[in-house]
Amino acid sequence: MIVQALAFYAFSAVAIASAVMVISSRNPVHSVFYLILAFFNAAGLFVLLGAEFLAMILVVVYVGAVAVLFLFVVMMLDVNFVELRQGFLQYLPIGATVGAILLVELVFIFSAWAFGGGTLAAPAPDPTEIANTHALGNLLYTRYVFAFQAAGLVLLVAMIGAIVLTLRQRVGVRRQKIARQVSRARAEAVEVVKVPTGQGV
Amino acid sequence: MAVIVVFAPLIAAAIAGFFGRLIGDRGAQLVTCGAMILSAVLAVILFVDVAILGNDRPTLSLFTWIDAGDLVVDWALRLDTLSVVMMATVSVCSAAIHVYSVGYMSHDPSIPRFQSYLSFFTFFMLMLVTSDNFVQLFFGWEGVGLCSYLLIGFWYDRPSANAASIKAFIVNRVGDFGFALGIFAVYMMFGSLQFDAVFNEAPNAAKETLEFLGIEWDALTIACILLFIGAMGKSAQLPLHTWLPDAMEGPTPVSALIHAATMVTAGVFMVCRLSPIFEYAPDALAVVVLVGATTALFAATVGVTQTDIKRVIAYSTCSQLGYMFFAAGVSAYGAAMFHLMTHAFFKALLFLGSGSVIHAMSGEQDMRKMGGLWRLIPITYGLMWIGSLALAGIPIFAGYYSKDMILESAWAAHSGVGQYAFWLGIFAAFLTAFYSWRLLFLTFHGEPRADHETMHHVHESPKVMLIPLYVLAFGAVFAGMAGYHYFVGEGRAEFWRQSLLVLPENDAIEHAHHGLPFFVPLLPFVVAIAGIAVAYLCYMARPGLPAEIAGRFRGLYQFLLNKWYFDELYDRIFVRSAFRLGYGFWKGGDGAIIDGLGPDGLAAATVGAARRASRLQTGYIYHYAFAIVVGVVVFVTWYLLRSAG
Amino acid sequence: MPSFPLPPLSPALPEIFLAAASMALLLFGVFRGERAAREASWLAALALVVAVVLVLGGGGPRQLALYGMFVTDAFAVFMKVLVLLGGIFAIVMSIRWNEQARIARFEFPVLVLLATTGMMMMVSAADLISLYIGLELQSLSLYVLAGFKRDTVRSAEAGLKYFVLGALASGMMLYGCSMVYGFAGATDFATLAATLSGGETLAIGPLVGIVFVVVGLAFKVSAVPFHMWTPDVYEGAPTPVTAFFSVAPKVAAIALFLRVMIEPFGGYVADWRQVIWLISVASMVLGSVAAINQSNFKRLMAYSSIGHIGYALIGLAAGSKEGVESVLIYMAIYVFMNVGTFAVILLMRRNGEDVEAIDDLQGLAQTHPALALSLAIFMFAMAGIPPLSGFFGKLYVFMAAINAELYVLAVIGVVTSVVGAYYYIRIVKLMYFDAPKPAFDRPFGAEMSAVLAVTAVVTLFFFIAPSVVVDSAAAAAASLFPG
Repeated sequence: MIVQALAFYAFSAVAIASAVMVISSRNPVHSVFYLILAFFNAAGLFVLLGAEFLAMILVVVYVGAVAVLFLFVVMMLDVNFVELRQGFLQYLPIGATVGAILLVELVFIFSAWAFGGGTLAAPAPDPTEIANTHALGNLLYTRYVFAFQAAGLVLLVAMIGAIVLTLRQRVGVRRQKIARQVSRARAEAVEVVKVPTGQGV
Repeated sequence: MAVIVVFAPLIAAAIAGFFGRLIGDRGAQLVTCGAMILSAVLAVILFVDVAILGNDRPTLSLFTWIDAGDLVVDWALRLDTLSVVMMATVSVCSAAIHVYSVGYMSHDPSIPRFQSYLSFFTFFMLMLVTSDNFVQLFFGWEGVGLCSYLLIGFWYDRPSANAASIKAFIVNRVGDFGFALGIFAVYMMFGSLQFDAVFNEAPNAAKETLEFLGIEWDALTIACILLFIGAMGKSAQLPLHTWLPDAMEGPTPVSALIHAATMVTAGVFMVCRLSPIFEYAPDALAVVVLVGATTALFAATVGVTQTDIKRVIAYSTCSQLGYMFFAAGVSAYGAAMFHLMTHAFFKALLFLGSGSVIHAMSGEQDMRKMGGLWRLIPITYGLMWIGSLALAGIPIFAGYYSKDMILESAWAAHSGVGQYAFWLGIFAAFLTAFYSWRLLFLTFHGEPRADHETMHHVHESPKVMLIPLYVLAFGAVFAGMAGYHYFVGEGRAEFWRQSLLVLPENDAIEHAHHGLPFFVPLLPFVVAIAGIAVAYLCYMARPGLPAEIAGRFRGLYQFLLNKWYFDELYDRIFVRSAFRLGYGFWKGGDGAIIDGLGPDGLAAATVGAARRASRLQTGYIYHYAFAIVVGVVVFVTWYLLRSAG
Repeated sequence: MPSFPLPPLSPALPEIFLAAASMALLLFGVFRGERAAREASWLAALALVVAVVLVLGGGGPRQLALYGMFVTDAFAVFMKVLVLLGGIFAIVMSIRWNEQARIARFEFPVLVLLATTGMMMMVSAADLISLYIGLELQSLSLYVLAGFKRDTVRSAEAGLKYFVLGALASGMMLYGCSMVYGFAGATDFATLAATLSGGETLAIGPLVGIVFVVVGLAFKVSAVPFHMWTPDVYEGAPTPVTAFFSVAPKVAAIALFLRVMIEPFGGYVADWRQVIWLISVASMVLGSVAAINQSNFKRLMAYSSIGHIGYALIGLAAGSKEGVESVLIYMAIYVFMNVGTFAVILLMRRNGEDVEAIDDLQGLAQTHPALALSLAIFMFAMAGIPPLSGFFGKLYVFMAAINAELYVLAVIGVVTSVVGAYYYIRIVKLMYFDAPKPAFDRPFGAEMSAVLAVTAVVTLFFFIAPSVVVDSAAAAAASLFPG
């Protein structure tokens, strides 16, 4: 148990520290790397909870795809973050005050935490009996099938949105038209010209 | 039938008023006159049926008007003798005057409006006389006041007409305020505003008291006096009489209809209608007598000195109303109503006759610029004679019967106020005869004092104006003879039945029929003849005499000429101080405080807030996000503090 | 290995149909290419009409489906019909305008369909999870729609602002949901209601959770102080999108608001009423005051809608059956007034350019009498002048407040509607009493005229047969209050 507790505190501490670094580091590339670190620690926490499937998904999706995408964006766009931060100090006092108040209040509220009635919506199944992935699948495609399908629609909208907002048919851009290339007949591609000798073309 | 009588004028008024441009002058005249004649014929039939033949008709409830808690008020037509007498009088006079107006107003540019107002007025007057509760009475009361205002100011391009109409309206406001308070008092005491309910309860309420300003007052007396204040305003009694002479700024048919025959008598009607209450408030009745008798004399004295032909008749009206009131005050309600009816005929006749004179004189109203007209307009001259004879109370003419009855009743009341009223009435009768013949002599006799041009144009009025005059003249001659038996004679009990209540010990008319000293019935006639004789002496035999007298009694003459300085007094006390007060309120109260803090200030504050609110909208995302976070913090804090506290 | 039977899907048939239709439409558009916009729009409108039929056909007693995440009842039917009407109007009105603005693309109706699907899910949500998913589906579609005219800076700005702030609000709400879950141990409304019941007042934990949920919802209905995005987004988004924004999402979010506050937390009206009271008052005041200074008609309508939401929230603050009923009536009336007004705004084009300033309406009565008349009807209705429909909306709401003894709220409502009447009636004054500006471009198009006519007639003659709306609203409200 002590090992688990130690691991929990280690993962948590690193996760929080790296989250702070994400928003405070000057170099945006560093920020993204700290983000990846935070993700890894979160995955570690999942493993501790026995949710190894979620841990793997977190690593694959967030670290492997999302964070890398961020990195691309940050590097390609060359945003001047220093300039963006210029107003930061100006708003810091009031922002910090409001944030602090909210934090204190929430702490106060959570100190009154009592898990309502001891009921759990769906208690985690015993990992020795049923595989983690299997259990999730059982739940996702039954009890939460509605949410699952609807989430699919959300993703569809995101896809459509990305296309609508960014895809442009630029005029004057030469594109490869594969269908035309494939269906091209010899007659229209090559013209055989008989050149009488001595007259030139 | 009663519904048609009341609502035909309203419909005609609506048609003429709203579609006047569509149907034209002629159409408006036809519609209103037709409706009025129909109404008059039906009203007379109703009168014969109810009053003469004695058929009781139940109160006609049209529909509920107000139903709020304990207060239930209906629109209803009460059809007892008192109502039908008034209905017949009002609608016949009104019909005659409608027709007369067709001729009199023929050159006016807005005939439909005039005819519409006249009909509208008649509707309100009929509502007033047929009401079966206080609220409907008040409705009609205010309605006729409104129409009076509109008609006095009919020629709204004349400043004097506007001033007169405003004066009439405001002076009436004072009376109406009393009237309204009286209604409140009645409601407070009886818990109802239905006449029947109130009348049934009145005997029980006689001894109730009301504490006001720490003194116990007799409640019924207070209520009756308040109601009587309303009557004083409407019927131009001292000291609320000042509007009536000025009201002569309106067209002459208006003066005849509203300010002689009908509206001004509403006060008398009201006192008669409420006789079941007044009978139990003897002190209030005494007040009525005092006011009535004083007004009768006062107005007669002023009438002697006036030079405007219409003003003379106006003061005469004022004076005659005084007679009616003191008749009602000595419980001779029948006599009051009798005089009301006969007066309606002969006074309308006089007004219309004077209108005919004015018409002939191309609008001249000053008697000093008339004279010698009798050859030129003989018919009008004859009709004016009839009217004057009736007014002065010469036997066989209508006024003789009614006025004598009033004076006899006053004597027979055997009370101090009754004696007061009698002697003042006798003196007023002398003055009445005097100024009536002064008017006749100045207008029709002597040398023509108008310029040649005007005299050249003098002409007899057209038929359409004369026929109504004949009708009214007929009434002025015969109404007294015909009505004596029913109104005040032996048949009066069957005639009035339940509509008037006279306690046996107050029955002045009964006393007047028995055992009066011989001089009492004779005196009015004698003083009338004397008045005529003096007038002949002054204006025919020795034309220089009036000026001589005026010169010798300069103070008295000025006093009378200036109408006892009532207008000046009111101007000093009320008008100017009201102006000063109003100006102060306007500049200080309304302008600075109410407008400043109210509409203007609020508007300015709103605009300022709007500017600030739109400045909040900076366009920066982080400002918006910050607003959200602040909102969250505020709400969370609120709940935390609440749960902690 | 347990077997899971397929849950009955029929209660969710309209949503399933719409989702399928939107995907089919997407395929249709992709294959037809850019020219398909017009057909796609009409087909989408048709799909929405079919959905209305399905919704009405599926009406009946309260029914939980899909493992308790989805509910249909009279309330859902009422609100869904309103949402669908908003969608139909928006699509029909967009066709011509999009072509003129050169943004006629088939994705537009598809996104509207998907957004509508999301809204219907919100209306039918019976679980915090389905609530959130529906909300996100709706919101995401709307973010894209706001930025649909991507070539103009203002539209892009509108989309971005809406997205960033919307994400913040969603986060808040999700946080609130998690708090409620944490304290109550359940996400579905029925269990929540059962778990939370029994106390005098709500514990501070779930209460703060509710506050966060309220914040997220208040953002969606644009109630003060979570309204800041509204004017900018209304102004920047393409006008048909603004028209859509101003009705369908508002109706859906209000529906969600009602259901969340009444079903799981209905026992604690006295606790959460204070928040609603406050945002209601703030919305009414800001909506009426800030609109006075606006010169842009779309911005004005943004503040107007903020104000209207404030009035609708009065009914929620009442927390009674009558209150809910009044909100439903208010929203039904609001949809027609607002769509009509936006139809007029969409027609404000001069020489092929959009004009949006209020001053451009000057003298409209002389150049386009019919247009001016209908706009006057809408403005008077919004100001709450009897006998137009808007008056009844306010009447019911105020009556509910009075019966719930929220006198101060009702008084503030009356006062602010007086202030608000100023800017509504000022538009009428501009149209009828000022010297005319050049006429707007013609022709208006048959479909626009039809929308205008329908909305104007409904607004004008609502008082003839109010029972159609009032009765069904009463039934709908009753279905939220079991027993």
